[in-house]
This record gives sequence, structure tokens and C-alpha cells, in this order.
Amino acid sequence: MLRFLNIVAILALVGSAVYAYSIKYQTSYRAEQITKTKIEIRQERDAIAVLRAEWAYMTRPERIQQLADAYLPGMKQVEATQVVAAQALPERLPRVDSIGQKLDSLGLSMPATPPVPGGASPTTPKAQGQERRKP
Amino acid sequence: MTQTVRDTQPPPSRTRELRRLLRAIFSTSLDLSASRMRLAALGFLALYGVIAIKLVYLGFKPEAATTRRAAAEAVAASRPDILDRNGEVLASDVKVMSVFAEPRRIIDKDEATELLTAALPGLDSREMRERLGSRKGFVWVKREVTTHQRDEVFHLGLPGVGLIAENKRVYPNGPIGAHVLGFANVDNQGIAGIEKYIDGQGLADLHGAGFGATPEELKPISLSLDIRATHALRDELEKGVTHFKAKAGAAAIMDVNTGELIALASLPDYDPNKPTDALDPIHINRMSVGVYEMGSTFKALTIAMALDSGKVNLNSRLDARGVLSFGRFKIHDYHAQNRALTLPEVFTYSSNVGTARMAMGQGVERHKAFLRKMGQLTRMRTELPESAEPIVPKNWGELNTMTIAFGHGLAVAPLQAMMAVGALMNGGYLITPTFIKRSEEEAKDGAERVIRPETSEAMRYLMRLNAEIGTARKVNVAGYYVGAKTGTAEKVVNGHYSKTKLFNTFMAVAPSDKPKYLFLTIMDEPQGLPETGGYATAAYNAGQVTGEIIERVGPILGLAPRFEPPHQPFPLLAKLGYGYANVPARGGGGH
Repeated sequence: MLRFLNIVAILALVGSAVYAYSIKYQTSYRAEQITKTKIEIRQERDAIAVLRAEWAYMTRPERIQQLADAYLPGMKQVEATQVVAAQALPERLPRVDSIGQKLDSLGLSMPATPPVPGGASPTTPKAQGQERRKP
Repeated sequence: MTQTVRDTQPPPSRTRELRRLLRAIFSTSLDLSASRMRLAALGFLALYGVIAIKLVYLGFKPEAATTRRAAAEAVAASRPDILDRNGEVLASDVKVMSVFAEPRRIIDKDEATELLTAALPGLDSREMRERLGSRKGFVWVKREVTTHQRDEVFHLGLPGVGLIAENKRVYPNGPIGAHVLGFANVDNQGIAGIEKYIDGQGLADLHGAGFGATPEELKPISLSLDIRATHALRDELEKGVTHFKAKAGAAAIMDVNTGELIALASLPDYDPNKPTDALDPIHINRMSVGVYEMGSTFKALTIAMALDSGKVNLNSRLDARGVLSFGRFKIHDYHAQNRALTLPEVFTYSSNVGTARMAMGQGVERHKAFLRKMGQLTRMRTELPESAEPIVPKNWGELNTMTIAFGHGLAVAPLQAMMAVGALMNGGYLITPTFIKRSEEEAKDGAERVIRPETSEAMRYLMRLNAEIGTARKVNVAGYYVGAKTGTAEKVVNGHYSKTKLFNTFMAVAPSDKPKYLFLTIMDEPQGLPETGGYATAAYNAGQVTGEIIERVGPILGLAPRFEPPHQPFPLLAKLGYGYANVPARGGGGH
């Protein structure tokens, strides 16, 4: 009995020692990982700082102006007349079903009556659409 | 123990004796004499005491400076990013590698010197040898090396030579906004401009105390500058300075309601990435460090003083006939009308005689007090460490009041004049200009009211009138309802005012009915050109440039253009019975 207890105790001792060792090993492994990640984060952060500075350098107004002068020869400075407030824009036109209207104007649904003379003229939205397409 | 016993190889009798002695010492039976126990206890006590004392001693002894620590103290500290009002980067830190050495650990100093000078061109080998020969623990070999040089030094594999990452300040926009930003030196300490201001705000103390602030702990600083507007302003100014062959020029845009400087440029300028250029006196910030006689723009202050006192109003007439004599001095008008002028005419014809009389009507003391109230007689301090004391006459007599009324005899920093004119425009609040972003509430919080709102409106009316029919017609950019005043000061050469060397200023406000931005352009000795008819007065050069600036910057700053005149631009004046009723038909040329 006593011998059995002794063996159990020894086994428990060895087991706890192994467990403690593995915990310690894992801890130091994780700590190493954390340090590594921290270094990576720092490197990334430094890289971001460099990229941000580089971005600011590449998009500096002076350079953009030079590039615009060289590659956009037709462009001009914005004039005050070109600036319009959002409120000054006209209201959007109501949606019109132009195809449906055309079909209606054909008078297919009412074969008995002849079409109204004015009804066949093109509707406003279509005319607008054509105009807008012009440069 | 038995080992020792056997080693000594004593005779058998002595062996027994020794055994007895050892047994007596190491015996655990308690019948031994107490004194022996006490002796053993004392021995152990002494041993542990020595250990304890040594521990305390080690604890108090200052730690030997390790290389890492020495390096951490020497490397350039990190600084917060500087952003413009829209979040664009104006100044930032990037990491660069620097080469250092620990002379005590270098084995072959000659070899190290030879290899290092070969890898890093630009190093003086004799100086290097001296530095490596010193007995210091840490010396710099070269700061801020390129990646290629870094790799080369790394591959040399010299013991006692190492690489360390440092912060380097970069200014991606180069000279744009340079005078506001200032610069930082190789140790990343602010030397001028906002950079120095940041250090003064506690950053330097933080570093000094050893808290090497990490970049993520530092909050970026938002300036009031708009980098795109600053670039546009500088570009137009540069064109103007070149075109009119001026010696120097400067321009600025200020938000009159918050005192924020939206843009500032002073030419010639420098690239803060090359700090050595910044120290050249020709590169000073002419807006805040230079002091100048502001010429006729000062008339706005005189007229505001007279109007605010209630002694004159917009309908008053002032005698502007002939020449105003005072002792042996004579005051002339550039656009002499030789008749009694109404107050708006005095402004639009820029009459020296009329303004001088107006100031005399107030008296020397009140004139002085008014200018003091407007902050024109004391040094103005902004965030920029660079500032200048105005040059105020020592004995301020009647003649001084007369000349200062039209901007001669008192030299102030242009930014200071902007502050005063800003107060005339914004409804009467004197707001110290700032380079840090802030709201209108913050600005008006500590601002003092210096003139009545009616006076401010009258001044806006006069400025507008001057841009419509007066001397500042060049700047009447359609859509922005601009008001403006020209100023041409003659420079003092050998104690006399020169007729050919001019210092021109031009102030403009937009829009005049709801003032938002104040523009100032100054030009040092611009030349008359054939297309200006040989004239070199302010309207032809500084005014021209200001017009270009407003036209270009207006859309950037989101100024809404209006092509119909505002319905009632000056409501307070309309209530008082003025309006555009007493508009003179014509206001004068380009003085």
C-alpha cells in the first residue's frame, strides 16, 4: 500500500515537472513570438510612414502642376463662372416611360378611334437625352 | 571530507584525532556545547551579512552606461507629424540608418578607419582616425546613410561598429509652407517655425526626461494652412516677383473670423529638407520677421479711427486742397484733386492730405492709443518663434501722427497689419493670427472688440468701393465681391524717401459683405514695366498678383462665386441712411 502510494507520488512529481516544463517552454516561445510580432509591427509602421511621406512627395501640388502642364495641354484654370452651388442645379425631371407612350400613341389598344394628331410627337425626355449627348 | 583527510596523508593516530574532531563539528547531537553552536550561527550570519551588503552596494551603484543606452540618448527622437487643415502631410518622420562605433571595442583602428572611409564616401579619414582613437564608449561615424551604404557597412563586419535606426524629418512639399513649418536639425530638434513651437509645448521636456515618445503616442498637429492654396499662392507670387523684377515678395491669406493663416509664402524661400539654406538672411519670413512701412493700407486704420470716434461720418468732407505744410515738411497727394473730398473719396483717391487732416482731428494721443489698441505698437507673438518688434518713433509728435496716418514713419510686421485690417473687416474683433487650426468660437473667445460693428461695415463698404471705382480696380475679380486697398511706401535710402525704390502692399477682402478671407501681398522694389506704363505703384504689381491669387485660390477655398450683386451688402449702413448714395463717379488711378 505504502509502496503504491510512493509510486503514485513519484509519478505525480514527474508528471507535474513535465507539465511545468512544457508550460515554461510554451511561455518563452510565445514571448518570442510577441517580440517578433512587435518588431514586425514596428517595421510595418515605419514602412507606412515612409510610404505616406513618399505619397505626399509624389502628390505635392508643385509636381502635379508640372505633370498637368505637360500632359493635359487643353486644361485651363477653373473660373468662377464654372463653379455652381448644389442648390442652383435644376430639379430632376420626372421619369417618363417614353416607349410606353410611343406604344400608346400608336393607338393599338384602341383600334376604333384614330390617333390624336398631337399625340405622336416625340416626348420631352427623349429630346433632352439627345441634346445631352452632344459634346 | 574523507578526500581531504586522505590527501593530507597524516599518521594513523592523527587520523583518528581528526575524525573525532570532524565528528564533533558535524555531529547533530544536541549535547554539544552551546558556544560552539553560537560560533557556527555567527559564521553564517557574517556570511549572509556580506552578501546583503554587496547587494545593497550593487543596487546603489550607478549602472555602467551600456552602448544601447548611450545610443538611445544620441539618436534623433521622434516628432509628431504635421498635417495641413485637410490632413495632408506637411512633415513626417522616416526611419534611416546611422553608423556608430564603440572605440573601446575596436581591435584594429587603422583598418576600421580605412574600411569605413572606403565604404562611406565623404568621411575625412584623419578626423575618423581621431574619433575612433578616442576613449569614448560611443561615437557617430556617419548619420543617415543610404540603404546601399548601410549594406556595405554591415558586410564589413567590423567589431565595434554598428548600425542603428534613427528618425529623420522629411518635408514632402519642399519650400511650400517652409516659413511656417521651420525645420528640425539632424537630432530632430525643432530649430525654427512650428517645429520649434512643438518643442516648446513640452516635447523637448519629455525627451529630456528620457521618455522617448514612440510615434504612435504622438498626436499629429493640424495646422491652419491649406497646402493647395499655399502652393497656388506661392506660384502666383513667384510669377509676379519674376515678372515685376522685385527683390522679394510675400503673400498671405488669413481667415478674418478665426485668425487662421490659410496660406503664407515669402520669397525667396528655402527647402526645409536642406536646413543650411534656411539660415541665409535673405530667406527670412518677410511676413512676420520683416518690419515695413505699410504705406496707404494704413489709411484704413486712420479712417476707421476717425469713423469710430463719431467725429466724422461717411458724408463728411475733408479739405484736400494743395499741399499740407508742417514746418519744412510738405505732404503731397499722388492723385491731387485740389478740392474738398468726401470721406469715401479720400479713401478711393488715397489722399495723404485728407488722411493726415483726419488724424490731426483726433490728436496725437488718441492716434497713439488707437494704434496701440490695434496691436501695432507692440511685438505681436504667434506660434512662430520668429517675430519682430515694430519700429515706433521715439518722440511721437504731430508730424509723426500726420505721416503715420498714411503709413509712413511706423514700420510693422505685415502679419501685424493683417491682424488690424482683419479686425476692421470682421466686425471689430482683434484676433491674433494663428497657424494652428481652430474654430471661430475659440478665436472670438479671447478676442477684444476694438471698433464698433458699424465702423467695420463702413470700412468694408469703403474697401468694396475702392475695388469698384478706386485705386484697387485691378483686383475686382468677378464673382467674389472683393474689397481692397493699395499701399505704396517709398523706401528710405540714406535717410531720405526714395522716389524709385518702392515697397508695395495690397490688402484685399473677399467677399466684402460677409468677410471671410483677407489677402495681403507685399513686394519689395518691383519695377515699372512697359505694359504698366512704367508705373511701379502697388496696384500695378502687388494688386495684379493679388487679383490672380484670388481668382485661383477662390475655388480651392470654396468661396462661392456670385454674379448678381448681393441684395443688401451693408445692412447697418443702409439703416443709418448710407448706401451707394454718395458714390463718387471716379476714384483715382493706381496709387
